[in-house]
Amino acid sequence: MKSEVFFVAKDSLVYSYERLFQDLGECAKISRYCYTPDTYDVLIHILRSILNDIDLVLLDHDFSKNELEALGIKPDNLTETVRVTPLSLHSKAELINAINDKASWKLTLFTSGTTGLPKKVTHKLTNLVRLVRQSEKQKQSVWGFAYNPTHIAGIQVFFQAIMNGNPIIDLFGLSRDEILKLIDEYQITNLSATPTFYRMLMPMGKALSSVKRITSGGERFDSSLAKNILQGFPNAQMRNIYASTEAGSVLESKNDRFVISDLQRSKIEGNRLFIHSSLLGVDDFAGEWYDTGDLVEIVDYASGEFIFLSRASEMINVGGYKANPLEIEETLCLHPAVIKARVWGKPNPVIGNILMADLVCNRDCTEKEIREFLKGKLQDFKIPRVISFKDEIDTTRSGKIKRV
Amino acid sequence: MNNVLLQVVNTVRVNKGLVALNTIRPEDDLRNNLGFDSLDLAELTVRLEKETGIDVFSESFVNTVGEILEKIEKR
Repeated sequence: MKSEVFFVAKDSLVYSYERLFQDLGECAKISRYCYTPDTYDVLIHILRSILNDIDLVLLDHDFSKNELEALGIKPDNLTETVRVTPLSLHSKAELINAINDKASWKLTLFTSGTTGLPKKVTHKLTNLVRLVRQSEKQKQSVWGFAYNPTHIAGIQVFFQAIMNGNPIIDLFGLSRDEILKLIDEYQITNLSATPTFYRMLMPMGKALSSVKRITSGGERFDSSLAKNILQGFPNAQMRNIYASTEAGSVLESKNDRFVISDLQRSKIEGNRLFIHSSLLGVDDFAGEWYDTGDLVEIVDYASGEFIFLSRASEMINVGGYKANPLEIEETLCLHPAVIKARVWGKPNPVIGNILMADLVCNRDCTEKEIREFLKGKLQDFKIPRVISFKDEIDTTRSGKIKRV
Repeated sequence: MNNVLLQVVNTVRVNKGLVALNTIRPEDDLRNNLGFDSLDLAELTVRLEKETGIDVFSESFVNTVGEILEKIEKR
């Protein structure tokens, strides 16, 4: 059998589909929790869990012990395993059929919550693969993997690729030069990433012709960036996705204007976007329509076109990751010298918003000291990058810290 | 002006646990030579704007120390 590429890891190791089938066949026990820094290990753990019909909980590998504890996960949970029968798969078609057979398999992920703790979301396999397109044309695709494999966007890209037997080239967290080299070397045809990811590639220098389809999501669409992207990838078509961790991809468009294409799935009421509970995770929500907290404005009543204005909640979008200022302020206040903390997002051309913190301290502190204190307690993107030391922080009349 | 940039580059480096540099050269690549990721570059823009009043990334992306100096000097 010709050894076709399944996955190219960040360290350039190439895993073929043959190797994947071999690894799937050699497994005798698996854990119900996936907590590993290695993307191949994450992907194979997902496949083993599906094929053995054992529900899986995906954890960010940079969750600290404290964060895991707060989610109710004990160190023992991570090492517990379940015995399974080794699998015997020999072709992509067998693998795809075997995945399709496990419609009731469930995957649990965590998303940045609005109350401080990451929120648990559990999806059935049917919901995760609902937007997968399968066709002869899709079988030729080569995917650049530019999302965290433990987040919903990464999971959706993974299913789109695996259900068509495509190669997946890991680009997540690599440098601009490495990414551009890999796109060319593996003739990547499909990219799905945040505007921050594409912004890092600009200016591109040399145009890359292999890319046919570019998907942008997770952050506000930037039309001047889109123009630059299409210059760098002259053969590509572009689409903009509106997605949420609760539901995955919900709407798509060619620019920043969306229309509700399926009235059963989403609606606008009082300038807010609602999505139907059938798209949400299991046990997530009891009502029929879920309020996304995203504010929209209808710009064309005839066609129903609307644009996104802002989030009603206070989450700050940092390069596609949602940071909760309240969680960060609470963590800052754990430092013995910090009396009061305010965290806010300053618009930034590189990553959308950069986290800033104002602190009132009871002694002299340095930014370095505060950053080191936060390391290990918070994921990296949640750590404020510019910290100012103040004598006082304004509070509103209700005693809440005023956001700027 | 080069000194202001060196100082800001070193603030970002030291805050993330890297050693301070003695010199930077125009040909230094912000990612490959200075070891900056996108969060670091964002931090660099805020600190530079505070020191110089210039938002170096506002119009187009820059990759090297020389490109930043050019934007600062053009003012």
